[in-house]
Amino acid sequence: MALLQISEPGQSTKPHEHKFAIGIDLGTTNSLVASVRSGQADTLADLNGQHILPSVVQYTSDSILVGKQAKENQVLDSQNTISSIKRLMGRGISDLKSLGDNLPYTFSDTDSAVPRIKTAAGDKTAVEISADILKALKLRGEQTLGDKLEGAVITVPAYFDDAQRQATKDAARLAGVNVLRLLNEPTAAAVAYGLDSGAEGVVAVYDLGGGTFDVSIMQLKQGVFEVLSTGGDSALGGDDFDHAIAEWIITQAGLNANDLSAGTLRLILQEACAAKENLSEQEQSEITIKFDESQTWFGALTRDIFHELIDPMIKKTLMSCRRALRDAEIEKDQVMDVVMVGGSTRTLRVRELVGEFFEAQPRVDIDPDRVVAIGAAIQANALAGNDPDGNLLLMDVLPLSLGIETMGGLAEKIIQRNTPIPVSRAQDFTTYKDGQTAMAVHIVQGERELIDDCRSLARFELRGFPPHVAGAARIRVTFQVDADGLLSVTAKEEVSGVEASVEVKPSYGLQDSEIESMLKASMEFAGEDKDARSLREQQVEADRVLEAIDSAMADDADEMLSEEEKSLILDARGKLQAARHQAKDTQELKAVMAHLESVSAEYVARRMNASVQKTMAGHKVEEFNND
Amino acid sequence: MSDLIFSQNYFEIFSLDVSTNPDLTKLNDSNRELQRLVHPDKFANADESEKRKAMQKTSLINQAFNTLKDPVQRLQYMLSLKGVDMNAETDTTMDGGFLMDQMELREKISDVRSQSDPLDELDSIAKELKKTSADLIAEFDKNFQTDVLDKSREVVRKLQFINKAQKEVAELSEQIEDELL
Repeated sequence: MALLQISEPGQSTKPHEHKFAIGIDLGTTNSLVASVRSGQADTLADLNGQHILPSVVQYTSDSILVGKQAKENQVLDSQNTISSIKRLMGRGISDLKSLGDNLPYTFSDTDSAVPRIKTAAGDKTAVEISADILKALKLRGEQTLGDKLEGAVITVPAYFDDAQRQATKDAARLAGVNVLRLLNEPTAAAVAYGLDSGAEGVVAVYDLGGGTFDVSIMQLKQGVFEVLSTGGDSALGGDDFDHAIAEWIITQAGLNANDLSAGTLRLILQEACAAKENLSEQEQSEITIKFDESQTWFGALTRDIFHELIDPMIKKTLMSCRRALRDAEIEKDQVMDVVMVGGSTRTLRVRELVGEFFEAQPRVDIDPDRVVAIGAAIQANALAGNDPDGNLLLMDVLPLSLGIETMGGLAEKIIQRNTPIPVSRAQDFTTYKDGQTAMAVHIVQGERELIDDCRSLARFELRGFPPHVAGAARIRVTFQVDADGLLSVTAKEEVSGVEASVEVKPSYGLQDSEIESMLKASMEFAGEDKDARSLREQQVEADRVLEAIDSAMADDADEMLSEEEKSLILDARGKLQAARHQAKDTQELKAVMAHLESVSAEYVARRMNASVQKTMAGHKVEEFNND
Repeated sequence: MSDLIFSQNYFEIFSLDVSTNPDLTKLNDSNRELQRLVHPDKFANADESEKRKAMQKTSLINQAFNTLKDPVQRLQYMLSLKGVDMNAETDTTMDGGFLMDQMELREKISDVRSQSDPLDELDSIAKELKKTSADLIAEFDKNFQTDVLDKSREVVRKLQFINKAQKEVAELSEQIEDELL
């Protein structure tokens, strides 16, 4: 055993500097954060020793509560306590209906395509709410590791589309988390499982979470995790089991969901969830719901009824499994292991039907709640550069085909689902009118033939290519999907070589400017950094002063100021404009602003006089007397 | 890894000979080895231009891999190496016998639901198609080896038909299976 490290001459004795990176499983129901410490990947606990952070956020007028406490307050303050927000990520207002009538929140009327939930702390988008969960996880990471974080790998359902991935990345940006990679949840699980078991061969990962379902067929070989195909449903999960039971309870109790308060609905849902969990141990579960002082309902949910309620949903997941196998060109008997991931695979019926389908005993020996975060931490550690000659490599695929709208509202596929990523494809377009210099392209994602059945991702406007006769221009649009599964587009007119500018209007995402203003808003609210906040206030003040001086000078600078005075003020104005963006602290900005105020004091006085004279012009002094 | 791959053909990228039936195991292994060198994750700490290059190289390798893995795309690509562009074709005549067979096949597929065991029927159609496909690939090989390119091209066009029919059969089987669930 070498107690002393003997180094070769010329070799550095400095130990390799370890960079801390975290893996985050941002789940529908629960979230976790994990990290690799001393070569061991494990989830991190909060101060009370809890690893799981319920993905619930409660907003009050002066605080943001995330996790267990928020979850406990949910029944009492259901309007301001948001759960399962992942279901709304990357979704538009028009999607709210299809997501079910079970959302107990009030949405504010807005002309934006992004839904905003009314809370005591103002309107909140799914991105902002997710950012608050991410902040809590990041803080836990920093507190446990006691060091600055290099960045994070955040997991997303493999079946998340571009809009949902982008929303997740936006949330990270808002939370101040540097995203090293977005990683697909089943891939993360396979990493944790594969590295642990040293398995080689074809593995199916069945991942049923609270609100999403994924299946990935993967080839494991010498540290390379190659996704062959993926399938799923980004709006199906264990929450739906709860909702099915809740509906059953409401029907059994002879009630109508529309008559029930948000708090009562929440209570029923919690009881439904408890009943579901009991059924993993017992043949039937007793349910008692106290609607109010006078009305209490008792009932019993048997396994048979439960199965009747959830079997159709499980069968839906199995159809996705079959399609994934077919896409991977893999037969069931070639699958070496079926790995169960996600809290909802604790439901015995799920294990039973999945086992029947794959004709194999599914692997349930890994902790289905923690395995995704652990896999993400392993990948984060490698990406941070702590594993320079490591073998780990993850090769993933595009979950849903990308296409563009063509004549007649049809979708033409440009990149097929299950194509390995990163991938790029070029497509040529031409003009249909003489002299045309702009063109609109509508990008969609999905497998259906009609545009309306696919998800609209974005509309692109290509502008600035030189005019040609109809059909002569050749505009090459290149679609690039990166390793995170995110799409970017560039365009070039090939005949002239002119790069056309691409203006992106995300259909359901937030504009960059909206994220900027949220960033500012969250800075103002958080109060974690008083200096930043006061600087921000001073900047707003500077903007106001700049705007006032500009508008005044546009009005009457020529008649009221000498050239010399004018240049003095303009010079001071320029300095404030620069300081507005560069000043690092409030005092510095204040001083520059005071300077502008002093050089323009005389001008302000003259303007006030002039304005008083103007008001009085044509009037008799008597009119201004009040008596 | 050098920038050489940008000037190599898809077969060369994976150190394979241009062939109708390349060694698929070697294709897979070679793909994994290349990705280990060029995948963007291996450049997570590099500067932006290196990152971009990694993405471009990996995109190209993925494109090449996908093309060679799929028989129809592979043969089409082999023709393009000889300067034959399948997409730009104007001559679309095809031998009458083949077209008649295709029409009969179409009728058989659309008729399948009225059969006593539609899934069984679809299975036998799928088998037939698989055999036709294998025969056509062999025919392509013979013509391509001897540089009879117009004939090779016609074979690929037939294969495209067969491929489409295969997809339809698979989708229909799935639909019927779902209905039986």
